[in-house]
Amino acid sequence: MARPAVRIQVVEFGVLVGLALLVGRAAQVQILHGRRWAEEAQAQRTERIVLQARRGALYDRHGTPLAVTQETYHVGIAPNELRDPAADGALISRRLGLTARAWQQALRRRYAYFAGPYSALEVQPLRSVRGVHLESVLNRFYPDPAVARATIGRVGDDVLGASGLERTLDSLLAGRSGAAVVLKDRAGREYESPARVIAPPVPGLDVVLTLDAELQEIAQRALDDALRRMDADGGDVVMLDPGTGEVLALASRQRDGSARPSAFTDTFEPGSLAKIFAAAALLSLRRVSPTDHVSGEGGKWRVLGRTITDEDPQPSLTMADAIRVSSNIAIAKFAARLTPAEQYATLRDFGFGAFTGIEFPAEATGRLRPPSEWTRPSAASLAMGYELSVTPIQVAMAYGALANDGLLLQPTLIREVRSASGGVRYRHRPEPVRRVVSREVAVALRNLLRGVVEHGTGAEAALTNFPVAAKTGTARRVVNGRYAAGEYTASFAALFPADQPQLVLVVKIDNPHKGSYFAAQTAAPVTRSMLEQALAARTVALDRARLSTAAPHAAAAPVDDDGGLVPYVVPWPYQPDSAGVGPRRAVPDVAGFGMREAVRTLHRRGFRVSLRGWGVAEHTWPAAGDSAAAGSMVTLFADPHAADRLRSRGAAAPRRGSRR
Amino acid sequence: MAKGRHWVAVWLVAFLVTTWLVYARQTAAIRAAGELADLRARRANMDGHRADLERRIRAAEGRAVLVPRAQARLGLHLPSDSEIVLVPAPSGSR
Repeated sequence: MARPAVRIQVVEFGVLVGLALLVGRAAQVQILHGRRWAEEAQAQRTERIVLQARRGALYDRHGTPLAVTQETYHVGIAPNELRDPAADGALISRRLGLTARAWQQALRRRYAYFAGPYSALEVQPLRSVRGVHLESVLNRFYPDPAVARATIGRVGDDVLGASGLERTLDSLLAGRSGAAVVLKDRAGREYESPARVIAPPVPGLDVVLTLDAELQEIAQRALDDALRRMDADGGDVVMLDPGTGEVLALASRQRDGSARPSAFTDTFEPGSLAKIFAAAALLSLRRVSPTDHVSGEGGKWRVLGRTITDEDPQPSLTMADAIRVSSNIAIAKFAARLTPAEQYATLRDFGFGAFTGIEFPAEATGRLRPPSEWTRPSAASLAMGYELSVTPIQVAMAYGALANDGLLLQPTLIREVRSASGGVRYRHRPEPVRRVVSREVAVALRNLLRGVVEHGTGAEAALTNFPVAAKTGTARRVVNGRYAAGEYTASFAALFPADQPQLVLVVKIDNPHKGSYFAAQTAAPVTRSMLEQALAARTVALDRARLSTAAPHAAAAPVDDDGGLVPYVVPWPYQPDSAGVGPRRAVPDVAGFGMREAVRTLHRRGFRVSLRGWGVAEHTWPAAGDSAAAGSMVTLFADPHAADRLRSRGAAAPRRGSRR
Repeated sequence: MAKGRHWVAVWLVAFLVTTWLVYARQTAAIRAAGELADLRARRANMDGHRADLERRIRAAEGRAVLVPRAQARLGLHLPSDSEIVLVPAPSGSR
């Protein structure tokens, strides 16, 4: 047996070896593998999450929200965590709209997940229920889903634009996601608030569209009624402001109720709508004078192996008569005075056969063949609106050029782009494409169109007090490459009022089955109905002050001359939407005010207020000092940290009435 | 020895105070985060409520609802253009 001293030395050696191993292992863990273990530990305690950016909103031209982003929720249920499964189950089922069977199935699972998404209102009572886990997610919400659905489009499941303007404007609307680190407890549950924001989310830009929600509703309802009444296959309505190229309403509907954007994508032969463009070429090139007559040929004329007929035979016709009664024979005879190159150039100048350039993801160019591809009857066919395919938006822009004294503008759906803080990043200005005809020729063409409504085929669109200029078009439909027997497209293009037009309307009805198929009896009355409704709607973008000077051309009906009905009196002076509805006054400076005081101040000054954000008032749009019409909307932007920012800028903040 | 014990006590107290401060700070932060989350939830709830009200107002103001009711209950009708009177601007007023 070893001596005690030796045993002690052995023990000491053992302890030393043990300690050395311990230190070595510690060094291995801390120094050699330190980074890996640190990362693993951090991963157990923290998690990097994506902070979704708010998608920008879409508004109509008056500020009515058309598409907004809202916080919605997915709901997870852990049945074993419920305190009172029966009572909690009843509440959860009611709020989530679950059937008893669905709830029983959920109870059998370890964790039930309901994707929803559910609104904040729906899940509010569930917040305090133990075992219910809410996962917030930003979702797109359309306050009135039926309004301009095809134009606005939709977002996909990834909240990126999938169709329509949502897709075109995706880069503006989407914003940029942020990132943050959240802490987790021992059980792996995340704490409620991010511990560290790596990159804050950048919200998307808000876009103010040119659409007028009320005109849009008028157009949609009128089109729906017309399709139902005429048992038609489909139709389109386009309304635009000829002075700016801004599209005010776009309605498209098919027989099955679907609403694809056919005003941009579907082409049709315009028929007699195109006669005015042949007249434009003839007048511009001085190939016709007001006294020139051509024979009506008794309503039937055989030329180049083809028979051209007129619905309303006339013995002889001037150019004005040709447009007024929509004579195929007369316009074909007059158009023979043009060379193919001249006829082609005029149609091309009016924008046919080319993209209009509107901000929409899909647009058809239509078809306008160059003269080298024409056959012998092509010149006559084009003058009558055949061998040419166009979209409703192209027709609207071309008629817009006539309304705009011969200047063709690029159409637009975007009026303004604003940052989340309200700053205007872009404001639409009219973008001329080219001068198509001179001002004098445009005035002469409008007079020809006025004759159509006053004494011609467009009489059904005539208003008592306001002159309207318009043209009818009834064309055979092409089905599978051939003209289908008994199928027609009825179309109508109108300028309202005829002098200094403020509105261009294009109505197209596809294949009306009930009653007449002529545009004069189908599309023209629809146009009249829409104009009357637009006149009666106070918020519609019409300058009634200018209209009031156009109205006296016809004698107004006596006020008490309609069975005692009280007439609708429009207040004067009417200001267009951009100018508001009252006298202009300066917007007060409310920067630094508390919300309540800021709103009161603006109300006292006679403005309506739209709130953006909360906290301390930072700025307004229109800005302080700018003039705005009394009664118009002032957007008030507030932020909880506005006071600090204002102080750093040297403003006295927070000011009277401010609340932190 | 007494001096050494005091040092141990001082270090122990310092350790406890520091630990308590860290603990208190963490607790306050977690509570604040909870309150923040609660406020966010309330704000989301109010936003949702506002959106719902706006949607209902839009629907109630829509022509699809308003026009039939005005016709049925009040006997009103959509005016034809001859019933719409635009008073012309007095000369020199603009």
